[in-house]
Amino acid sequence: MRRVALWFIPAAVLLASAPLGAFEVNIPVLVPVTGFLSLEGTSQRNGALLALENPPNNVTVTYEVADTSTAPEIAVNALERAVSRGNISAVVASMLGTQMLAMLPLAMEYKVPLVTMSGTARITEMGNPWVFRFFPGDAITKVAHARYAVEELGKRRPAIIYQTTAYGQSGRRHLAESLRKLGVETVYEEGIDTSVKDMLPLISKARRAMPDVLLLHLHSGPTALFVRQARAAGIDIPIVAGSAMHQPSTAALLEPSELEGVCAETGSSPISGGNAEIEQFAIDYRKRFGSDPDAFALGQYDATTMVLAAAASGATTPEAIRQYLSQTRHRGLAMEYYSDGKGNMAHDAVIICYDGSDRLPDIVKHYRAADPQN
Amino acid sequence: MLFIQLALNGLALGAAYALVALGFVLILNATRAVNFAQGDLVVTGGFIGAALASQLPVPGFVLLPFVMAAMAGVGLCVSALAYWPIRSRPPVSVFITTIAVGIILQNGLNGVFGPEPRTAPALLPGANFEILGLAISRQSLAIICVAALLIAGQLYLTNHTQVGRAMRATAQDRDMAAALGIPVARMVALTFAAAAALAGVAGLLLANQFFVTPTDGTNFIIKAYIAVVIGGWGRIGGALAGAMLIALFETLVSAWIDYTVATGLLYAAVLTILFVRPSGIFGEVEGRRA
Repeated sequence: MRRVALWFIPAAVLLASAPLGAFEVNIPVLVPVTGFLSLEGTSQRNGALLALENPPNNVTVTYEVADTSTAPEIAVNALERAVSRGNISAVVASMLGTQMLAMLPLAMEYKVPLVTMSGTARITEMGNPWVFRFFPGDAITKVAHARYAVEELGKRRPAIIYQTTAYGQSGRRHLAESLRKLGVETVYEEGIDTSVKDMLPLISKARRAMPDVLLLHLHSGPTALFVRQARAAGIDIPIVAGSAMHQPSTAALLEPSELEGVCAETGSSPISGGNAEIEQFAIDYRKRFGSDPDAFALGQYDATTMVLAAAASGATTPEAIRQYLSQTRHRGLAMEYYSDGKGNMAHDAVIICYDGSDRLPDIVKHYRAADPQN
Repeated sequence: MLFIQLALNGLALGAAYALVALGFVLILNATRAVNFAQGDLVVTGGFIGAALASQLPVPGFVLLPFVMAAMAGVGLCVSALAYWPIRSRPPVSVFITTIAVGIILQNGLNGVFGPEPRTAPALLPGANFEILGLAISRQSLAIICVAALLIAGQLYLTNHTQVGRAMRATAQDRDMAAALGIPVARMVALTFAAAAALAGVAGLLLANQFFVTPTDGTNFIIKAYIAVVIGGWGRIGGALAGAMLIALFETLVSAWIDYTVATGLLYAAVLTILFVRPSGIFGEVEGRRA
């Protein structure tokens, strides 16, 4: 009943434009800033806004921000409304896979590129030439996740704890498959609902299987809950978590001592620094939004910057931008982006680890998928 | 030993759920309407606790009265907006208005505090301690004690005070109560304030151990609803028993079998109870179901 009621909430719309330049583009930002994905969706929106507010000198940007919440029809309506206003160049599209799947046929019909951070594998497996994903999917991050546990930590008895959501099950499948390819079988696997509060039953079952490493693929809150309760229960084996653990808001829920020995896979970790440009991005982000950036913010910033680079080169129509995204390599802050022919633009993943002294993770390992263009 | 540890955890979790369900039952008994915003009131209490703690770094028990007072104010607003204007309409109208209030609270919290999970301070400062090999959490003990005190206080208020009698009279027949000189509007407002204050306490307690996000309300209202259905529609004792049953499934049962199977078994148990005793374990208070 609640979900039905949410349909009637009008999406928040913000219209704005940047200083005048020679080339004009209109880039609506249609992302979930309310609902269960609001944490990640807000990061996505913020990353896009930071890029749109600072376009290249010769580009004029018009954009609107609309909340797609969590229902596919809200995302479809937002896209229809944006298209009906005319002259769209590209769309910053929801990172929620179910919304992307609903928007893809429209993108094909209206011939408008969607740039997204969605991790749902299927969106780039449908032969739709109008979708471009700027966050490494499970096929990349879960390989890094498994390889770090097996090759770097030397673990042979992993336990996998995953969320029963679509996100969690996709991650579990790729993680288990990657482990198998490395010649390692999991000793324990269990999925949990996002509403589970007490993790002790799960921890006690995992402990009985005698794993030597715990691999998590959970959302932000459950990740922090699991780490805290595992440490309280005296679990001292390494924990390698999913990308939720890299988010500063997740680490903020835990004491630095609870984070000792905790690592995580992610596309990037802007608060960990690395070079002057990323550090400047983090400073600008904090100044503009009053919070720390995460990989979703940096990925969407890079994606939007690439669209603006296309515009700066004269590619202002949807078709010209699509061709630019399909054929050009773009040096972003997090990594180099290029299409694999299906719209997958991000091919790097990193492993970050906390040393227990603070909540600032260090990047300890960089993984890069094979480059199909070389 | 693990069994006792899990039982203790389950008892603490059940005590917090009981506070959620208790507020739900209070409004149900006073107005015959289901308050679907109760879960979001719990979340609001958690966020108020977290916000107060960021300005005032003191233990949770110091914040508790402030959270209760603030939430009582929120409860009065909910009463004025979502119940009083449509009090003469069928109960289903209140379903809709409270759902709307819940969504407003959820999105309001998201807008004001942001979507990040928050944590509130523990009721009592200090680390866990051990007794006979059991890791005893001070917060768990505090949750059990606070919940027991509040539930006992609520039962006393309802059954042994003039205010409680007036509240019950208002619930049974509002027109007759008004004819007898009972300030009906004030009684209804008081009930909403008390229910919201209880939700605030539950929010503060849960936010410390389990964190709180703006979208958590749905989970809490589902648990409160199931607890009330299991225990008997409108029964305070029944809501308590139902809340404990849910928590025990979440801790004890799921320690031995898969979480998903345990959840399935919980719903199977609910269906069995309703099949054997359609009015719940403790029976239904007559005429409460909408």
